[in-house]
Amino acid sequence: MRQEEGVWYRLDVVARSVSPFFVTLLLVLLGLVPLRIADLSPIVPALALIGVFFWSVHRPHLMPIWAVFLIGLLQDLLIGSVIGPGIIGLLIAHALVVWQYRFFLAASFAVIWCAFMLVAAAALAATWLLNCIAMLSYVDPAPLFFQYLVTMAFYPCLAWAFLRGQRLFQR
Amino acid sequence: MNKPTGSEIRVASPLKAWASRFALLLLVGAAFGLMLIGRTNTFVVEETRTTVTDMVTPILDAISQPVDTFSGVIDRAESFTRLSADNEALKAQNARLLQWQAVARRLEAENAALRSLNNMVPDPKMSYVTARVVGDPGGAFVRTVLINAGERNGVAKGQAAVTGNGLAGRIAEVGQRSARVLLLTDINSRVPVVVGAGRDRAVLAGDNTNAPQLLYLGPTAKIQVGDQVTTSGHGGVFPPGLPIGVVSGVSESGFRVKPFVNWAHMEVLRIVDYELPGILDFEAQVGAARAAAAAAAGTDQ
Repeated sequence: MRQEEGVWYRLDVVARSVSPFFVTLLLVLLGLVPLRIADLSPIVPALALIGVFFWSVHRPHLMPIWAVFLIGLLQDLLIGSVIGPGIIGLLIAHALVVWQYRFFLAASFAVIWCAFMLVAAAALAATWLLNCIAMLSYVDPAPLFFQYLVTMAFYPCLAWAFLRGQRLFQR
Repeated sequence: MNKPTGSEIRVASPLKAWASRFALLLLVGAAFGLMLIGRTNTFVVEETRTTVTDMVTPILDAISQPVDTFSGVIDRAESFTRLSADNEALKAQNARLLQWQAVARRLEAENAALRSLNNMVPDPKMSYVTARVVGDPGGAFVRTVLINAGERNGVAKGQAAVTGNGLAGRIAEVGQRSARVLLLTDINSRVPVVVGAGRDRAVLAGDNTNAPQLLYLGPTAKIQVGDQVTTSGHGGVFPPGLPIGVVSGVSESGFRVKPFVNWAHMEVLRIVDYELPGILDFEAQVGAARAAAAAAAGTDQ
């Protein structure tokens, strides 16, 4: 009986530790679902960026840098763009959060949201620049700017859902 | 689980900090390496991409079905609100189309008669594979969609993808059960076209906006806003005469084309399998003709 409890406990621990990674992978997939809404496609929110940022802030040990790399790789492969710029964008977001981890420890939700604005701007700008270089052509940054705004608006909704999920786990 | 504290995130220890910095550099370097590989060795990248896409497509297929149902319900509700206006418009359109039908029948008969008079080589037969659009990556950098049909359904690279309205794009990558369609509007899309009644040749080039532009127009080309743009069939990839759109405007960079395809409601795509038996037959015919000529020369001697 005790042995069984041990197994369940361990399974539980494993499930908790891999959930941020798999939830972010799921976000990458959700970003691909066609929504059939006119002109929305170019400005879909960068869901993976939200996932990587959130878990890097709240559970950094569950979002290691290699996981960020894998998420970026899968995202670039599925989107069909050049492989690399998306990965580097996510790595930059992760690195910025890790660099300023002391700041995030004491930050309130609103402050974290503001920080996300800066981090996402840096990450998306790097992705845009590298994509332009890799494709050897100038890509109109206007859709990317709107994508940035939509991502900002989406952050509180997703973060709220993640926090609720976390509390559910902690009970 | 306790809240993480400063000591729990042991980045502070110098060794860890060094290791994490090294890992960051290594992975950023790896990403740059992948960028280079993508430019030089496209085959490996494409193989990897189609493998991943194949794995994910069944999941996307499952997720996108309820979305389609929901959007269908909304469309129906919307159409109820303008039933009577639609009815009027459709009646008028029907009357106009009946006239066009008569004209088209007459022209079709005339065309067939002229073709047989000239012994014209018949156009190759077209067959279709119909697939659902299950993925739309979106974003600022690409205009592609994923469909749930691949090699095992007879889809092959280069085939044209059309909707009821006109050409949507071409197959860029094929997996076993999925394929990626490069839309007309993508920055990498180039389609040979003919424009207007003058049948001026041009190349329709996407630039990630909703209105691709016409490149390489001849200096004598006379093009007006509203001219029809259709595939020319040059290059033998697309069948000739597929409708694409109309010339919508002129900008500094050239003419812009508004595609007929309704991008927001592109739920199903038909993949045109334009087998070119014409080319094979042509070679066979040339071979036969040479053999006959040789035989004739032989009898003459």
